[in-house]
Order: sequence, then C-alpha cells, then structure tokens
Amino acid sequence: MPHRLMLAACAALFALPAAADPFPDATRLVSIGGSLTEIVYALGEGERLVGRDSTAIYPPEALALPDLGYMRALSPEGVLSAGPTALLVLEGSGPPEALDVLEAAGVPYRVVPEDHSHEGILAKIAAVGDSLGVPDRAAALSAEIDDALDRAEALTRDVAEKRRVLFVLSVDGGKIQASGTGTAADAIIALAGGVNAVTEYEGYKALSEEAIIAARPDVILMMDRGGDHAATDADLLASPAIGLTPAGRDATIIRLDGAYLLGFGPRTADAVTDLARALYGAALAREGQGDGR
Amino acid sequence: MIATQGLSVRIDGRTIISDIAFEAQPGQLTAIVGPNGSGKTTLLKAIIGDHAYDGEIRLNGLDARSLGPAAAAGLRTVLPQASVLAFPFTVREVVALGTTAGRPGILGQALGGLPEAALARVDLDGFGPRCYQDLSGGEQQRVQLARVLCQVWVPVLDTQPRYLLLDEPVSSLDIRHQLQVMAIARAFADAGGGVVAVLHDLNLAAMFADRIAIIAGGRLLTMGSPKEALTDDRLEAAFGCPLRVGSVPTAPVPFVLPQSLADWTSIVPAH
Amino acid sequence: MAASAFDPAFPRGLSGVRAGDRSHLGRQAVMILALLLVLAMLVSLSTGASGTDLSALFHVLGGEPDPQDATALRDHVVMMNIRLPRMILGMLVGAGLAVSGLVMQGLFRNPLADPGLVGVSSGAGLGAVGVIVLGTTALAPLTGPLGIYSLQIAAFLGGLATTTILYRVATRSGQTAVATMLLAGIAIGALAGAATGVLVYVATDSQLRDLTFWNLGSLAGANWTKVMASGPIIALALGATLFLRNGLNALTLGEATAAHMGVPVERLKRVAIIAVAAATGAAVAVSGGIGFVGIVVPHLLRLVIGPDHRYLLPASALLGASFLLLADAVSRTIVAPAELPIGIVTAAVGGPFFLWILLRRRSAIAW
Repeated sequence: MPHRLMLAACAALFALPAAADPFPDATRLVSIGGSLTEIVYALGEGERLVGRDSTAIYPPEALALPDLGYMRALSPEGVLSAGPTALLVLEGSGPPEALDVLEAAGVPYRVVPEDHSHEGILAKIAAVGDSLGVPDRAAALSAEIDDALDRAEALTRDVAEKRRVLFVLSVDGGKIQASGTGTAADAIIALAGGVNAVTEYEGYKALSEEAIIAARPDVILMMDRGGDHAATDADLLASPAIGLTPAGRDATIIRLDGAYLLGFGPRTADAVTDLARALYGAALAREGQGDGR
Repeated sequence: MIATQGLSVRIDGRTIISDIAFEAQPGQLTAIVGPNGSGKTTLLKAIIGDHAYDGEIRLNGLDARSLGPAAAAGLRTVLPQASVLAFPFTVREVVALGTTAGRPGILGQALGGLPEAALARVDLDGFGPRCYQDLSGGEQQRVQLARVLCQVWVPVLDTQPRYLLLDEPVSSLDIRHQLQVMAIARAFADAGGGVVAVLHDLNLAAMFADRIAIIAGGRLLTMGSPKEALTDDRLEAAFGCPLRVGSVPTAPVPFVLPQSLADWTSIVPAH
Repeated sequence: MAASAFDPAFPRGLSGVRAGDRSHLGRQAVMILALLLVLAMLVSLSTGASGTDLSALFHVLGGEPDPQDATALRDHVVMMNIRLPRMILGMLVGAGLAVSGLVMQGLFRNPLADPGLVGVSSGAGLGAVGVIVLGTTALAPLTGPLGIYSLQIAAFLGGLATTTILYRVATRSGQTAVATMLLAGIAIGALAGAATGVLVYVATDSQLRDLTFWNLGSLAGANWTKVMASGPIIALALGATLFLRNGLNALTLGEATAAHMGVPVERLKRVAIIAVAAATGAAVAVSGGIGFVGIVVPHLLRLVIGPDHRYLLPASALLGASFLLLADAVSRTIVAPAELPIGIVTAAVGGPFFLWILLRRRSAIAW
C-alpha cells in the first residue's frame, strides 16, 4: 500500500504543471483543506462551493457549507452526497482509496501540493485558478498576495537580534508537544523574522523538560483555541522547565488562530505581520504600516 | 488387554514409577491401590498417554505410542479425579460431549438418547437441564462418569474390548454412591469391557476387583486376586502400618463394611 | 449385572424429552441470525449519505450504466464501489473479530479472552504500522513481492507472535489463570504499543499521514483491493475454525480430558492460534482496531444458546457480521455527510455491555 500512496503522491505532483487544464465542470465544487477554501473565496468563486472539510472555517460564509468530515478521513459517499462535479484536495487529504472511488463516480479530483512557503502559497493560488478556469483572476490575486507577503517579510528584515520562538502545539498534563523543523509553524516563525527554538527534530513531538531549557525560547507561540487561556497559561508557566526560559520568566505567550497562523493561504501575509508585531512590537520598520488586507 | 512392560516415568528428572509390568484383562475389574505418592495415578496417567514414559504399553496388543488420540479414545475412556468446567454447560450437554468423543458404539436415533440413559445409569435421572456448575462435588463426579460411559457405551465393539480407566472415582461420594459407581464399573467388566480403577478404599477394592495391584515407592509390589494381594505383610510393607486383614475390632465399637450390603445390584438404577 | 445393562436399546432414552439439550436453541439462533444478517446487509446497502436507495441495486444488477447518465453512473459507483465492498468487508471483519474472540475464549477456557483486550490486536497493529513505516525502506525486500498482502501478512505475524507469547506465558499445563492472562495481555499490549510508538516517532511526514489514514480508516476506505487482500484470509480462518467445534467443546473440560476424548489437542491449539491471528490480523489491517466485537458477541450468544461451539461458531460469525454492519450504518449516518469512526460506535455499545457482564459475573460463579 505505501508504494501506491507514494506513487499517487508523485503522480499528483507531476500532474500539476504550471498551467493545468481546468476541470471540465467546476460548477459544483468541493474543496478539502482550509487554505484552498479560502483561496476559492478570495478568487470570488465561493458560489461554486457545495462542500468543505472540517478544517475550513474561514471566511464565515464557508461555515454554511456542509462539513464533509476531517480531511484525512473522508467518506466517499459523504462527499458524493454534496453532489460535486469537481474536487479540489490539499496534499495530504485522503484516504487515497476514497479519492479513487470518487474519481470512478465521475468526480475528477486534483491534488494541490502543500508547501509551507511564500512560493507555495502562490503555487496554490495558481493551481486553484487553473483548475477553476480563472487563471487571470488567480494571477491578480497572486500578485497582490506576493506583494503583501514581501512587505510582511520586509518588516523584520532589519531586526538585528532575532527572537527564539517555541511553538507549542499542546500542553497535556504538563507534557509539551512542540514543533521542530519542516512544519507550518517552523515556516511561519521564519517568515515573521523569528528563529525556531527547536531544530533537533522534524515534525511535532513531545519535548523533554531539559530540551525546553536548552531551547531558551524568548517567546512561546500557541494556537488560539478559544476557551480559558488563563488556565493553560498557568499550566504552562507552572512547568519548572518553562520557568527557567526567558519566555517563561516574562510570561511571553503569543496566541493566534490556528487556521490563520498555519493555513498558508491568502491570510498568511496578515498572520506574518501580526506575528512579527507581536514578536518585535514598535521596533519594526515603519513601512509595515497600512498594508493590512 | 492393557499390558505394560518395564514401564518407567520420570517427571522433572525424578523417577516416579519404574519397571512396572502391569496388566488388566477385559472382563475384569483391576484395582490399583497404594499409599499417597506411591505412583498409582502416575501409572494410570502413563497408560492414558498423559506422561512420556520408557518401556512399553499395549492396548489390545497395539503399541500405545502408535495410537492416535482418536483411536485411543475409541478404546478407552478416562474419568479424571476432578473436572473444572470453563463454561456454563447443562448436565445434559456435559454428558453429550461424551457422545461426540470416542465411539459410543450406538448409531442413529438412539445416540441422541444416550445422555439420558447414561444419566439414569449414574442415578441422576432428571438432572439434564441443571447447570453443571451448580451441582455438588459428588453429583459432578457422577455426571463425569456418565459422560465417560457414553464414550465407550458398548463394552465390546467390533470384537475389541474397551476400557474404563477411573482415577479415584469414589473419593467424593457417599457410601451409597460409592457402591453404585463401583457396581456400574463392575457391570461394565461383566459385559466384557475392562476396568482399571485407582482406589483408596481397600474394602471396596476387595469387594469389586478381580485383581488388585499394589504400588509402593513407584514399584509394583504385587498383583493378584484380592485374596493373594491383600495380606498382612504386603499391606504393612506398602502402607507402613501393621494392618491385619479380616480382623474385627476387639472393643465393642460399631464398624461398617460395604460388604455388609447383601445384594449391591439392588441399589443400581434399573433399566 | 448382565450385559443387558449396557444394551444399546434403552427405552428411557427414546422417550423424546431431552431436557437440558439446547441444540434446538442453537439451530434456531443460527437461522434467526442468518435472517438478521440478510436484513443488516440490506440496511448496509441502502444506508448512506448520498441518498442512493435500494432501487439502485436493481439497476446496478441490470448491467453497466449508460456513461452519459450521471445519476446512473453515480448510483452504480455508490453501490458497486462504495457500499458493496464496504458491506463485504464489514461482514468479514465483524465475523472475523467475533469468531476470533470466541476461539480465544475457548482456547484459554476463559470468557474474558478477546483479541482487543489481551494485546493481540496491538500486536497486529504493530505489524501493520511496521509495514507502513518501514515498508519502503528496511522491509522493502519483503513488502515488494507480497504486494497488496504485505499489510495483512505483517498484521497476521504480529497477531501470531502476541497470541503465541500470551499462550506460553498465561497457560500452565492446560490451565489459564485469568489474572495472569489479563496481566500478560496488558504487558504484551504495552510492549507492542511501545514498539509502535517508536515506529511512529521515526516515521516521516508522509508515513504519518498513511498511519492516520490507516488508524482513522474504519471501513471508510473499503474498496475491492482491500476485500481481495483481507477477504480470503478471513474466510479461510473462519472456515478453519469450523473444524475446531468439537475440539473446543472438549477443551471446556481441560486439555487432559480433551486429549482423553480423542482431541488432538496440540494441533487444535496450533490451528486455533493461527486462525485467530489470521482473522484478527486481516481485520486490523483493513480497519485499524475495532474493539469489543470479540467479547460482546460470543458472550451474548452464550447466554442465549449455551456454550456449545457447534452453534456458537456459526452464530458468532453471523451476529458479528450483523453487529458490525449495523454499527457501520450508524457510524456513517449519525454525523452525515461526515463519518464517526466505527470503533467509537462499537465501544459505545460494547463498553457498557462489558461492564454489565462483569456485574453479573460478580454475583455468579467465580472464575
């Protein structure tokens, strides 16, 4: 099976040249992956959407669409029930068996590669635009976002002393799951001019107490999940290891919405800006002002 | 005939029985007696294939080692000392297990009624629907006897005599049921089958057995008719206490021998 | 006493009343459960988010759809490529898990033995995770030639290893101590879990994704490939267990007594362990871990028809299949168009049932 998955992934990558053919019929579209749904709306094509996955929670209009489940546990029949004519899926959605069955049912799908980078976002926009047959509008949006990202990244270009950021995915009973390299969190920290405090491993893994101390984070970055932050903050700061870090000493905890922060979609420039301001505050270059979308 | 030659059993490097030449004839009830730990049960278990052994065991002339489990089950049946049932079977179901094992020797419709017949035989008529686990120890023992009987219901099948091997069959029974069980075994032998019973009660052995084997210290002390086997010096040698055969108490205390029952067939359920 | 006492003709036995014989219950149960399964199959084929109903089945049976007719094409795919393979897989997994539970209980002579509870599923899961994570690297020389069967075979081997170790540890001269079995099961399950954890830790991003697919898979990923990969294995294992019926009954009396009754005990145990590992492994390979089927189904049936394996085996297969089909129908309708993992549904039904068993047991005979 892994072979087939790998092949499918490779095939999907190669099947997406810069200018892919549009879907034969994209009037009823299901998009799987929050950033893709955001791009469809940003392109002004939101009317086409008939379904979304549970990670798509922006813009608010998207919430009115039927939720077809978690992007990694799609039910083919559930997707079919929305009556789609085309299916856009973010890389990593599946299971692949479900996508195969949907294709057999006459719903062509296209896998949009996920790359946590400035270029990756532009590539996503281009892929969505091509698939929906609106390459011109996609080009315009791409240019606009390219510009916004440039400006957001420029904010921190002159920061001399980069702050070390520890991205904490979850605190569960004192056990801290933190981001290593190769993740969306790692990428967004870099874009916002920070330095990921943990580079010893890839992905999200549990971090030992001593590793936390050794990581010396200046700032702790977390996802805003709603609810009682005071409790989690207390939980987090109660950890003796966190207490020994600069971030713990000053209780510097930044929270941003998860989809906003890690989605790598149209709002990422804003997220980078927000994060950069939260990291460096007033010390930022003046040119960062007034670029918000 | 069940016959052993030079039979020895070692368990965990310890010799339990050695060089035993034992035999049990069809048509006879052969009792094995002896003190605790002498190797009585080990001898029985070697014969039924529970223990690895040196020497030779033959059942009706066939080498026991070459007999598959199914063939052996068609030649002999074993009543264990105790049985723990894992699941809540009814009495009838436990007995019916015996009809799917071995070769009852009964065919067709009659086979379906065999468990009832066997239950009646052990004086448990009407116990069929009871839950086995709710019975007393003595009743459970008799249910097991009924099951065991089903396995070789016809004592001689295709001219082959078959054998009932009983490991302390009466240990948990009252006197009436002790006599009953022994009478059932006796009847099986009288019908042409062979019976080997490990017994503790010397009086029952003397009363029902054709031949008695005395085992002591892992060796066969003697083997012969009750009169030949049960002598003062042999009992003293085997059990280490000076018993006197046939001696009545000198003081006027009551004593009860099973032999005092004039006609033991009267207490066996009739058919 | 004359030979007549053992005469084959015994009028009492022919009177017709055989109190305590529950085989008629067993036969009735098998027939009723067969009907239930047909019903569950119809429910399974007619339930789903797409709104395709049973009438589509008749169109599908009519042959290939007109490629121009989108609705007909969709109905065809929903029936043939989604619901039918899912139904077959559900039946096989349900029957496989229920019968695995039953056979383990018979083998261990204990009603609490269950592939999920005593670590066999964890062992099978370790095998599956091993193939997903190492299949393209360390295990590539093996997974290459095995093709679509590699996941199943690895899960089978994992299940086989855990069952064998468990049996060796928990059984002394044919007797299984409940406490030892459960503790050994926990230990083996934890060990397999730890090894799985290490594999997950070293997994790359794309392997983690495959693991998630497998883990959350339930029956949603059912397709003909999976049916072809797991179906024959489970069907063979189920078939093999039918030969164990008398032996498992005899084993109720203990290994020694079973041997005296003519049962080739060592062979019986080997076949039983292999069948359990194969059925559990194949089920785990396609559906992740689905719990409680193996304990709930045999237990319920034992209460109704008694512990006779001649009827328990077919009845468990039928009820296990029906139970999983109905649980699956719930899992795909309750949050439609999304799906609830089926393990949550079976646990929601099985958990309380298991507690009820324990409460009943507490007042009944000790075990």
